[in-house]
Amino acid sequence: MDQSFQDSIEKVIVINAPQEKVYEAITSPERITSWFPSAIEGTLNVGDRPILDFGEHGKNQIYVESAKPHEYFAYRWIPGSRHFIGDVLSQPNTLVEFIIQEVENGTRVTLKETGFASLPAEVRDQKLAENTGGWDYMLNRLKELLASK
Amino acid sequence: MLIAETFKALGDPVRLEIIERLSSGSLYTLSSVSKDLGLTRQGARKHLQVLADAELIKMEPTGRNTIITFAPASLKAADSFIKQLERKWDVRLEALREFAEGDKS
Repeated sequence: MDQSFQDSIEKVIVINAPQEKVYEAITSPERITSWFPSAIEGTLNVGDRPILDFGEHGKNQIYVESAKPHEYFAYRWIPGSRHFIGDVLSQPNTLVEFIIQEVENGTRVTLKETGFASLPAEVRDQKLAENTGGWDYMLNRLKELLASK
Repeated sequence: MLIAETFKALGDPVRLEIIERLSSGSLYTLSSVSKDLGLTRQGARKHLQVLADAELIKMEPTGRNTIITFAPASLKAADSFIKQLERKWDVRLEALREFAEGDKS
């Protein structure tokens, strides 16, 4: 498996909102909790080490690597880890980058996560439990949607 | 598989109920999985086909019956840590889009 191990993720989404608003949604502690962690301890300025709180999925302390309003934001973390509090830079980690560009019909966000090959096998191997959790999340969310109709 | 396509396939109370039954892990046939849902055999087959097209279930004809198993492609990808993280990012980015587009402040 290891020789074919993929080292990066790249995802692109176009959002029908101004670039500045999208940047704010990603970098403002008040706003990021509307779509990513359920709570945050700390701020998201370069050099900060805030803790992202994912509720029952644990907490994850990150390191804010870089920010350039309203175009770029990057942080380091240990992905898939249900609970990591400590100095992320002292451990094998991945770099998560948001590249935020103005396009004709809104704002394009390119998400890149790189560095998976450096992660120890035990981090990469936590799979089924989390995956099942993701599925439950989707089903529950769907039920709420149906119930609210 | 796009999250949106999965949601679309599941966006029906009957199909959601079928998925809930199947996700218990028990073995079902076309008739047992659609029992008490007020469906004709034809109607049940139609709903199951939608779920099969969305790669959420597998239908295997055996004799006169059809064995239905819960086999979402998304779960099959569970052996890949990266695939799992990619799906997480899909969900997160979709949430970001919904939030940024809906937030008028």
